[in-house]
Amino acid sequence: MLEIKDLHVCVEEDPSEKILKGVNLTINKGEIHAIMGPNGSGKSTLSKVVAGHEAYEVTQGDILFEGESILDLDPDERAHKGIFLAFQYPVEVPGVTNKNLLRQAYNTIAKEQGREELDPIEFEDYAAEKLELVDMKKEFMDRSVNAGFSGGEKKRNEIFQMAVLNPRLSFLDETDSGLDIDALKIVANGINQIADEDRAVVMVTHYQRILDYIEPDYVHVMIDGRIAKSGDKDLAVKLEDQGYDWLSDTASVSVNGEQN
Amino acid sequence: MTTLKQTKQTFLQDLLDFQGSLNGKSQFLDKVRLKAADEVRNTPFPHKKDEDWRFISLRELYSEDYELAATVDVSLPDISDHYLPESKGARMVFVNGTFSREHSSTEALPEEVEIGNLADLTADDHPLIEEHLGKYGNFEGDVFSSFNAAFLDDGVFIHVPENLKVEVPVHLLFVQTDADVNYFSTSRSLVLADAGSEVTIVEDYIGLGDNKYFNLPVFEVNLEEEAYVKHTKIQRESKKAIHIARTGASVARHANYESYTITRGAKLSRNEPRISQRDEEVEFTVDGLVLIDGEQVSDTHSVMDHRFSHADSHQLHKCVINGKAHSVFNGKIFVRKDAQKIDSFQENRNLLLSRKGLVNTKPQLEIFADDVVCTHGATVGQLEEDEVFYLKSRGLNDQQARELLIYAFALETIENITVDSVQKLLVDEVHRYTERQLDSQLTT
Repeated sequence: MLEIKDLHVCVEEDPSEKILKGVNLTINKGEIHAIMGPNGSGKSTLSKVVAGHEAYEVTQGDILFEGESILDLDPDERAHKGIFLAFQYPVEVPGVTNKNLLRQAYNTIAKEQGREELDPIEFEDYAAEKLELVDMKKEFMDRSVNAGFSGGEKKRNEIFQMAVLNPRLSFLDETDSGLDIDALKIVANGINQIADEDRAVVMVTHYQRILDYIEPDYVHVMIDGRIAKSGDKDLAVKLEDQGYDWLSDTASVSVNGEQN
Repeated sequence: MTTLKQTKQTFLQDLLDFQGSLNGKSQFLDKVRLKAADEVRNTPFPHKKDEDWRFISLRELYSEDYELAATVDVSLPDISDHYLPESKGARMVFVNGTFSREHSSTEALPEEVEIGNLADLTADDHPLIEEHLGKYGNFEGDVFSSFNAAFLDDGVFIHVPENLKVEVPVHLLFVQTDADVNYFSTSRSLVLADAGSEVTIVEDYIGLGDNKYFNLPVFEVNLEEEAYVKHTKIQRESKKAIHIARTGASVARHANYESYTITRGAKLSRNEPRISQRDEEVEFTVDGLVLIDGEQVSDTHSVMDHRFSHADSHQLHKCVINGKAHSVFNGKIFVRKDAQKIDSFQENRNLLLSRKGLVNTKPQLEIFADDVVCTHGATVGQLEEDEVFYLKSRGLNDQQARELLIYAFALETIENITVDSVQKLLVDEVHRYTERQLDSQLTT
C-alpha cells in the first residue's frame, strides 16, 4: 500500500536542517505499524510528509501509495486517495461546526472517489454511528471544530474524523499522548474497530502503553532521521525497559535503515 | 491647503444654491439647514494633521468636484433583488438620497408605528422630530455632521410607541445609481424607540454602479427605558465611492442597543458610531466586520461613552484586509467619574492576507472611575498555514480551506444578526470576498 524509499527530507525554509536521512518503510494493507523513537528523531515529520505538509521538502527518495508517487500531490489530493493524518495538535476552528467541516470533507472525498455524496440528513445518520465508536454524544457534532475541547476530546475527535472519512491509510501522530487511561481505552477501541484487512494504520508514539490495547504487527524505532530497528511488539516492550540508548550504535552504522 | 480651500468653496456654493431652492417647504428644516450651513462655514475641514484623521487621506474628496445628487439625472435599474424578504411591507427606499415612494412600502408595520419621510413629515409642525433631530447625530465640531444637516431634506423617521414590539425588521435601503458625473448625497435617519419597545433596523447602502460619488449619511437613534433596538448596517457602496457616516445612539435605563456594522464597499469609508449612556444599567453592542481589498481604505472611529454606573458594553471589531487595502480602528472607551460597575469589552482583530495591506489600530481607554472592568485588545495576524494544512488534510482544497477559515474568522461578528436573509447575504459576501482574494493571489 505504502512504500517509502530512501526518503530524505529537510525544512523548506532551512535546507541545512535535515530531518529525515534515508527512511525505508513498507506498509501493506491489513497491517498495524508502530513507530517509536526519542524526541526529535523525525517520527512526527514522517507522518506530516506523508500527508503532504508544505513546510518540508523532499530532497531525495520517494513515497509510493498504491504503486504511484504522491510527492507531487497536495495534501487534499492525498486525502482524496485515502490518506489520513490524525494530528498531534489538532487545530481549533471556531465558528465551523464539526458537522459542517466533516460533511464537506466527506463529500469532497466521496466525489473524488466516485462515491455518492450525502445530504445533511443522511450524513447525520452516518456520522451518528461513528460517534459511538469513540463514545461521543451527538451534541459533539454541533460544536465548533476542536474549539474549547479538552486535550482528550481533541484526540477523540481526530479518531472520529478518521472513522467518518474512512481512509485506507492512517497515520496517528501521538494520538495517545495526553490521554488518561479511560480515554486511551476509548481511543484504542475506536482504532481497533476501524482497522480491518483493507486498511493500514501507523501509530506514532512515545509510549508502549497504547500497544497494550492495539497490537501492532510491526514496531519500528526511529533514531536521528532513520529507522534504526524494526521488529514485532516485543521490541516495544524492550524499548520500554531499556530506552533507546542501546540502539544508538546501530543507528550510526545503519545506512538505509531496515526494510520490512 | 489650496485644494482644501477650493473644495470648501465649491461645496459651500452648492450648499447655498441648494438651500435657496428648498426654502419655504419646511420652516423647521430651513432653520436646521441655515444653522448647519453656518457651522460648516466656521468649522475647518479635517486633514492629516488632525489627530483623528492622521491615518487616512481625504485628498480624493477635496481634489474633485461633486455635484449635488438632486441635480444629476437618474436612471434606475430594477432594484428588487436587493429587497429583504423578511421586510416585505416594511421598507423605505432612497435613490441617491431622495425618497422613493414608488419603491417603499410600510403596510406590514403595525399602525401605531409612525414611519415616513422627514421632509414630508416636517412640512407641518412635528414636535417629536423637532425635539430629537440632531440631538444624537450632530457631533460637536464635526464638519461632516454639520454638512449633512446643511443639506437635510429627505430622510427616515421611525417612531415606535411604548411597549410595542415590532416583529418585522425595517429595511432602509439607500441605493446610489451609476452616473457620468461625480455626485454628492446625504441622508438622515432618526429612530425613536419609546419605553419598552422593540425594533430591528437594517440600514443598507448599495452602490449600483462602479462610479465615484460621496455619500454622507447620519443615523440617529434614541432608546427610552427598557427599549431594545437591533441595528445592522451594511455598506456595499461602489468601489470608487467615498462613504463618511455618523451614527449616534443614546441609551436610557435598562435599554439595550445592539449594532452590527458590515463594511464591504467604498474606496474610502469612515464610520463613526458614538454610543452614549443616558442613565444607569444599560447594555450596548457595537460590533463590526470589515472586508476590504484592492486599494480600499476603511476607518472606524468609535466612542463608547459610559456616563453612569452599571453598563455592559461590547465591541468586537474584525477586519479582513487583502491587496493594498488599509484598515484603521480607533476605539475610544470613556468611563466618566462616578460611572462605577462598568463591564466593557473591546477587541479589534485583523486578518491580514497580503504583504501590502496595512492596519492601524488604537484602542483608547479613558477611565475616571475606579470600580470598572475594561478588557481591550488588538491583534494583527495572518491565516495560519497549519490551520490550512489541517483542513486540506481532511480533503478540502486550498480555496475551500482558506474560505472556511476566513468565514470562521468573520462569523463571530455576524452570527448574532437575527434577520436570516441578512445572515445569508453576508455569508455570500464573505464567500465572494474570499474567491476574489484567491483569484488575485493567483494573478500576482
